Formats: sequence, structure tokens, C-alpha cells
Amino acid sequence: MSYLIAIASSDEKNIDLTFGAADSFIIYEVEGTEYHKKEVRQVPQEEGAAEGSLAAGGSACGGSGNGCGNGSGSGCGNGRQGGGCTGPDSHSAKVELIADCRSLVCKKIGFQATRQLEKKAIASFDVDCTVDEALTKISTYFSKIDNHISLRQ
Amino acid sequence: MAKLLDKQRYKCALGAMQTVQAIDRAIPVLHSGPGCAQKLSDSNGSSGYFSPNIFPCTSINEKDVVFGGVKKLHSTIENALKVIDADLYVVLTGCIPEIVGDDSGEVVSEFADSEKPVIYAPTAGFKGNNYKGHEQVIEAIVDQYLKKTDEKEEGLVNVWVDVPYQDLYWNGNYNEIEKLLKEIGLKPNVIFGYKKGIDNINKIPKAQFNLLISPWVSLKNVKKMEKKFGTPYLHYKTLPVGAFETSKFLREVGEFAGLDKQKVEAVITEHENYYYYLIERFADLFLENRVINKQFTVVGDAQYVLGITKFLTNDLGLVPAKQFITDDTPKEHREAIAEEFKKLNYGIQAEVEFETDGYKIHQQIKEHDYHGYPLILGGYYERELTEELKGNFLNVSWPVRDKIVLDDFIAGYTGGIRLIEDIYTVASQRFN
Repeated sequence: MSYLIAIASSDEKNIDLTFGAADSFIIYEVEGTEYHKKEVRQVPQEEGAAEGSLAAGGSACGGSGNGCGNGSGSGCGNGRQGGGCTGPDSHSAKVELIADCRSLVCKKIGFQATRQLEKKAIASFDVDCTVDEALTKISTYFSKIDNHISLRQ
Repeated sequence: MAKLLDKQRYKCALGAMQTVQAIDRAIPVLHSGPGCAQKLSDSNGSSGYFSPNIFPCTSINEKDVVFGGVKKLHSTIENALKVIDADLYVVLTGCIPEIVGDDSGEVVSEFADSEKPVIYAPTAGFKGNNYKGHEQVIEAIVDQYLKKTDEKEEGLVNVWVDVPYQDLYWNGNYNEIEKLLKEIGLKPNVIFGYKKGIDNINKIPKAQFNLLISPWVSLKNVKKMEKKFGTPYLHYKTLPVGAFETSKFLREVGEFAGLDKQKVEAVITEHENYYYYLIERFADLFLENRVINKQFTVVGDAQYVLGITKFLTNDLGLVPAKQFITDDTPKEHREAIAEEFKKLNYGIQAEVEFETDGYKIHQQIKEHDYHGYPLILGGYYERELTEELKGNFLNVSWPVRDKIVLDDFIAGYTGGIRLIEDIYTVASQRFN
């Protein structure tokens, strides 16, 4: 059965974009160890991304008055920049965009995003190599796993 | 067919990180998945300057399986050299990198010019247990670090006993054997334990001979050293516990080393006198109170099963029931070890079985007629069984849960006395 791999690349040759910086993903369809480009998916422009995370911050952390909501602004409540641990919302658009893929390949990816992808059983690989090398290695790996072939070399 | 291992008695080869830890100021650098060190550490005397929680580790994950983990290994070694002040860095590989084919040896060789020595031992779990891993670490030291020398030091003898940490008495045993060898006029060289470390490792090639006290562990190491450094070796199979075996041991070592016989005999006599003075004082307890059991079984690695069986039979006059060796002794050594169990005093022979399956061992213990309550020395797994059989139990082999040993020991004359104390403490607690 075929599956999809999402790649973060600006030139379709090298894996040169981080997960955060990617505004589109190239989707490859893989069958066994054969793969071909299927489409490019644009990340929808997040209008009012800051508002969204502020609202999330308010509802999640404001409640009891203790914990991360109170005051100093140094905790995880001040989601103004969209940084910090603003919770599961911050990457959700991108994660949703590639939710039907089996794997994501990019140059670097943060801990939160990795976890969110993991929840959807998407294996993320942050590597520094060409698109072809990554696709060859990953498709070989998945093909072996799926067919119960030892990884021993 | 796949076999389920019931009641595990040893760890995977990566457990050799404890062998490295036993060498003062040596640190293992693990090329393994996250959590290996945590799982393999016992929290039994393993904190200190380096502890398993801070061992540098590549913590490899799925990405490294797909793309290879050599880069990560390189940076881990590089940074370990920067931030950890150690004398020897031993890279140990776990299962995953060995399966996917990372060339760890190649990465390590890139550090050949570094200020501190970096060596590499393949210790994938599927290659064997931690007894084998222990041998791999020593082999790595001999192969990759030490160099042949023409300089030999008269009387210097490298001493190798079984696996540190796996053997709960390792530290004390080494100390006691060292002490005895010094008394007969040798200069023992041990690399494990307090104030040993790299200086003693450096002395290895200069030794007059290697003294291996173990039924099989490290035999291949001393053979390798004979080949590489031309150092002859004396393979003494039985860990000397108690007067009979220790005197025999000292005589044999003395003869091999060409020592003055009278001096050796004088040391032996002095120790024996004190030993038998103690035994005599407590002979009434041993003979009259009948607190002790008639028959015993030892469950443990080859070293302890052989050493303790000989001690209890030769020194205490107990009768061995069946003995169980649980260290997965390689087949080529089994016959020679079983032969040793036939050489007990008073023409007694003990039956021994090489078995790693705890269920089968327990079945046989249950079925055996001990002519009363059994005395069982073994791992913690045997505790419940012994309670069921209303016997006396002493935890002497891994896993150890109801005993804390700092530097206690069972080797030598004093070690035998310590073991008697432990056994009779257990026995008399029951009667009081």
C-alpha cells in the first residue's frame, strides 16, 4: 500500500527548511521503495495567529490564579509571540495539513512539533541531506519494517 | 523456537558499562538507545564520581536507525572529551547501532590522537551477556590501548577475578586476594577498585604473569595477553573461599611464581592457625546444635557455585545436593568446570547443571530430598522458594535485594569466616 511523505524543501533538491520556517510541504507518494512527487501543499496563512494563542493562553492558564497564569509574564502564559509552551495549538495548522502523511522530513524540528506529529503517528526526521537520499533511506526502512525484514546490514 | 527466559540472572553485554565503572576514573560512552544505562544499573554501589545517570549516551532514535548514528556518536565522544574529566573513555555499543551497521570502530579511530585514550568495545546485547561484555572491555583495553614492552617487573602479577558489580563481593574479594598475594611476596596488579585505574592498566604489559581466578570468564583475555605481551598465565579455576582452598591456592601460585616455599608455608600456617582457632571455638555450635542443614544447593555463576560448593564441602563438611550454574557458561568450558565438582574432599562428588531457566531450577530444588531443611545460597529469586521449603537462604548471587555489601568479601581465609558468620546467622535466627 502506498503512503505519503512530506518534505520541507525550498528547491526540491535539498532538505533545507526547518519545520517552523516551511510555508509549504512537498508531498511524495511512496510505493515500496519507489517514490514520486504528488503535490505541493501550501500552509494556510494564519490570520491572527497571535490572537489565537493569546486566547488559548487566557483560557488554559488564567483560571486558578496560581500556576502559569499569574503575573510575571515569564511563565508559559504569555503567548504573545506564539513561542513558549502555548500548548497544542501552535503547530496545529501544519500538523493538520500533513496529517495523512506517514512521515515528515525537514532540516530541524522542535520538541513540541515532534510530539504533536507523534500523536498522529507521523515519524519526523530532521536531517541534513538531499531529498533523494532521505526518500531512499526512509522508504527502504519502512519497506523493511512493513515486510518484517531485519534491519541488520 | 523462541525461549522465554524466566528469572533473569545476568544482563546484556552492555552491562559491561559496570566493568568500566569499576575502573577508577574510566567512563563508558554509550552508543545506545536512551534508557539502556538506567535499566542496566543496579543502584548498588554505583553512584560516585561517575554514575550511570551521567554516562554520555548518543540516545539514538528512529532517525539514527534510518540515517545512521555515526555523526551523533562522533559529537558525543567529542563533547564527552571536552566536559568530562576522565582518564579512559570506553565507547560501548548497544544492540541498535550494531544491527543497523554503524561503524563505531571507525568513529573511535578518529580519536586516536586525542589527549585521553578512547577505545571501543562492541557490546550488543545479542552478542551475549555481561560476562561476555566484561571480556570485551578487557579485550578492548589490551587490543587498542596497551602496547607490548620488553620491560618486565619481577613479582608483578595481574589479577583477574570475576565481573565487578555482577559479583556483589567484587571489591572486597579483590582486596583480600591482593592482600594475601602481597603476604607471600608478590606485587599484585588489579585494575578495578579504589585507587587503581589507569596507572595499574599501564602496568599490565610489564607483569611477570597473569593470575586468572575464574572458571571461565576472562580466559580468552589472558590467552590474548600471552600472545600479545608474552605474559604467561596461571588459570586457577576455583575462587578460594576458606582455609582448604586458599592454602591450596597460595601454594599453587607460589610454585608458579617460583617463590620461596618456606615463606609461603609460613604465611599459610599463620592464617590457618587463626582460622582453625575460630572454627574450634565455635565447633560446638557447628557440631552439636544441629542448627545447620544437612544438604545445600548453590545457584549462581560458575565462580561462586564452584567456590562455595568446595568451601561448604571441604571446610564445613556439608553434603552438596545438585548445584546450578546460571551464567550461560559457553559450551566449550562446561566439561572442565563440571570436572572440578568431582574433585571434592572425602571422595564426594557434586552434580552440577548449567541452566538459565529459573523455573526448571526451582522445580528440581522442590523435587530433591534434602534430608531435612535445605540450605540454599543463590539469587534473590531463591528466597521465596526456600521459605516455602522452610530452608535457610543466603543471597550471594545476582540479583541481590536483601543484602548491602560495601567491601565485605568471601575470598580467602577471612572471607570463609565471613561466609560462615552469614550462614550461621541465618540458621540461628530461625531457632531463636
